[in-house]
Amino acid sequence: MLKCRVIPVLTFNGFALVKTKGFGSNARMVGNAVQAAKVYNSRNVDELVFLDIYASDKNKKMNLQMARLIINECYMPVTLGGGIKTLKDIEDLLAIGADKVVLKNKIIEAPEFINEASDVYGNQCITLAIDAVKKEDGQYYLYNRLDREILLFEFLTKINDYNFGEIILTSVNNDGMMDGFDIELVQQVEKITNVPIVVSGGAGEPSHFKELFSKTNIEAVAAASIFHFTRYTPRDLKLAIQSVGRPVRLIERDYIPKN
Amino acid sequence: MTIAIVKYGMGNVASVQKVLKKLGYTSIITDDHTAIKQANLILLPGVGSFKKGMENLHNSGLVELLTEEVLMNKKPFIGICLGMQLVATHGNEPERIEGLGWIDGEVVKIESPKGLRVPHLGWNTITTTNSDELYTSSNHKDYYFIHSYHFKAKNPEEVTFTVKYDGVMVAALQKDNMYVMQFHPEKSQEAGLGLLKKIIDQYA
Repeated sequence: MLKCRVIPVLTFNGFALVKTKGFGSNARMVGNAVQAAKVYNSRNVDELVFLDIYASDKNKKMNLQMARLIINECYMPVTLGGGIKTLKDIEDLLAIGADKVVLKNKIIEAPEFINEASDVYGNQCITLAIDAVKKEDGQYYLYNRLDREILLFEFLTKINDYNFGEIILTSVNNDGMMDGFDIELVQQVEKITNVPIVVSGGAGEPSHFKELFSKTNIEAVAAASIFHFTRYTPRDLKLAIQSVGRPVRLIERDYIPKN
Repeated sequence: MTIAIVKYGMGNVASVQKVLKKLGYTSIITDDHTAIKQANLILLPGVGSFKKGMENLHNSGLVELLTEEVLMNKKPFIGICLGMQLVATHGNEPERIEGLGWIDGEVVKIESPKGLRVPHLGWNTITTTNSDELYTSSNHKDYYFIHSYHFKAKNPEEVTFTVKYDGVMVAALQKDNMYVMQFHPEKSQEAGLGLLKKIIDQYA
């Protein structure tokens, strides 16, 4: 049976590992990204996502040197995102060992790029970052730094005709707040797309995972704050997901050799 | 021994080499014909579309060379993901196209009547009915899959592992000196590294 994935996210600001709140600019420094990757690898996490938000925000290329150092620590799949604009950018990331790449600004500016990329590299490695922001009017919009007002569900319905392999769905409102996922948002998006969805934004304690996995049919969740700021490990969250009847991958191992 | 990781512009070569190094094997990433001929084992990795994969192999003259080395000279061969699919008779991504044709079968899009999500993406359990220790040690373990197309094998006796999603799909095949797998052993932590080591050590 296909297991539900628990995926830590590393956000890199060009200098250090950081954690944002509501995508704000007051990100908190939380350590060294390479060291974090090493720890997650030793914890047998299902996957890792590395986002270079500096590249993304400043319209620059991803820090390949840093990405390479991260991947070198990982014996599980790694997804890389930040500043991807050309096929060459994707090729560079796949060449250093990325399994998937995340497209964000580019899909708003030039959605046809999604198909161009899939035709060459296969749709399985093309992940779209969908950042949802709920505004005061109660409607969901696609968060972007291009100053465009885009209705989220309209955008998703349109983009759904393109060929991609996965969506990372982040609630901007809940990012870093640690008080639960936006279940309503997930339920809406689930109806629109048939590719795997990674839900992100709001994880603070195991009960949030129980709620998400019992109220929706998604198979993957991403989180950061809960790992940076609480005692919970990915394994604790998997046990929570398992407790509501969903399959997870648990690795049993002895940390102290028996002999 | 030296392992030639075939370079043909289709993705994850670095991850494969990293894993082989960790396991203690010498490998080179190459498209050089002489180097591939001299290698003791050939590994074809790859992510991407079937069509582009075959085009790239053709463009560097690798179709003839690999066929001679693997099929005629019986050099040990490991194919991973797209590298597994390309050995089929035909692929369909994005349209019907001829493959290497080393193992009979057709690579077709995953259909899910139950409405399960495609790609088949994530960790899934593989099972075998083969009693060879090479396979029993991986039986019921989780491996990492990421694919929208799957290998429909013509000869069931060549299937070594299957995986359940919407129905049963081929997870790995073996024919003579060829070991091919849909999942990514190089991304499957201890379970994946262990299986690769078992296959390679038969020839080390």
